[in-house]
Amino acid sequence: MPHKRNSALVLVGHGSTLNPDSSAPTFQHADEIARRELFSEIYCAFWKEEPSLREILRMVELDDVYIVPNFISEGYFTEIVIPRELELAGSITRRSGKVIKYCEPVGNDPRMIDLLLHRAKEVAPGVAPEQTSLLIVGHGTHLNEKSAEAARTQASTIRERGFYAEVSAVYMEEPPFIADWRENTSQPNVVVVPFFIADGLHSYQDIPVLLGIESARTAAASQQEVFRRNPRHLDGRSLYYASAIGTDPLMADVILDTIDRFDEKHGYELAA
Amino acid sequence: MIRDELARLIKHGYKALGELEFAESPAGYRLYHWADRNSLTGARQYCSVKDAREIAKYDSAGAYRPLKGSPNLPRGWVIELATIDELRRALDYFYPGAIAAWVAHRAGEVTPVDLRHTLNRQSGMYRLTRKLTNEQARDLVREACNSESHCLRTILWGIEEGERPDFLPPSKSDPKVDQTGQNRAAIPFICLEACNLLVAKARSTLKRPSE
Repeated sequence: MPHKRNSALVLVGHGSTLNPDSSAPTFQHADEIARRELFSEIYCAFWKEEPSLREILRMVELDDVYIVPNFISEGYFTEIVIPRELELAGSITRRSGKVIKYCEPVGNDPRMIDLLLHRAKEVAPGVAPEQTSLLIVGHGTHLNEKSAEAARTQASTIRERGFYAEVSAVYMEEPPFIADWRENTSQPNVVVVPFFIADGLHSYQDIPVLLGIESARTAAASQQEVFRRNPRHLDGRSLYYASAIGTDPLMADVILDTIDRFDEKHGYELAA
Repeated sequence: MIRDELARLIKHGYKALGELEFAESPAGYRLYHWADRNSLTGARQYCSVKDAREIAKYDSAGAYRPLKGSPNLPRGWVIELATIDELRRALDYFYPGAIAAWVAHRAGEVTPVDLRHTLNRQSGMYRLTRKLTNEQARDLVREACNSESHCLRTILWGIEEGERPDFLPPSKSDPKVDQTGQNRAAIPFICLEACNLLVAKARSTLKRPSE
């Protein structure tokens, strides 16, 4: 990506009032992009932490601002909450001398498939894929069906490659439920990759309970001495649970690709 | 520029913000908790802006601090920063957007947003909060935003449109008052709109079974 010295980047994360690790990947990727000195200003803003979406644009001094949602899919947050809180008029908002460019969520990037496959392989080294069920876990919510669709699309693309014996998308809050993994998989090895941005409340604390590898919510990842060990042997199966896909260091490149795609798509409009 | 405004504030003797204090030093700026101002030699030494982010994350007992305005910053550290840009960024990790909010408010570029407006635009799990009555709202803000135990920001918004926060003690809505009670020349630490934590508490208030 060429330098964008006249532009500011705002990475928007969900954040959490309960889990200190929720915002960590957003800060981590912002730090990596800052290290490359591509933008003159870089900020993180959050729905549930500070700085909030309501205050972030006051902090930005440059007039050209890219907003990148560090969210795994289109959905309730990217379509309703973020535009409302930032008072956006669409992909391009011109206000008080500023041009605010609202990019797609990072999870839309085509490279996410490779990240998922890499993560699945990394968490279960040496495990035969033809004897493995791969589960991509999404949140799923009644507020917006696109959230579930994203995990489903990833799962079907991976399935088409024919590498794993079985590939499915499963969810926390809608069927097929992650909690029913025993019934919904047939292979001796089960690899579970959370299609989540952070090892926060859902992927580190809630899903392990739903999988049955913890009996109750544990402390946050950063407050434990070791990350979970794999595999867990449950009901005659070997279960491998990966960390959230959004914690991959390559996400910094995914963010930059997302900005490039915005420029390609809207360059003509911006030049007008 | 926000940095220039910060420089101007410092020149006029404003070297405190929330629980923080800072001083010009041979290396640039020294940032610390006000209660440590006489015991900095024994404090843990840091020199990076990012250290501010980590220090601000947990209280002294190791509990997560989702609300950065909470009067529970840990003590016993000092950060040496080379430039005013670094100072500004460190202050933004401790108190996100505080300087920008004051600069914008002073320039007349922003108006405080009344609580009713904030609650009425919520959706999803927070849509319920529009049912909060004015009386419930006043009780909630007095409790959930009080400076002694919850948040050091000075509240400039009222409950309904056009109202002032006159249901609060006058000191809680006066930007000149140092909310830590230290009577320092502190950069005003203002609240222009209810945060998501307060909205979440409004939801809990309405969800709680009536006694």
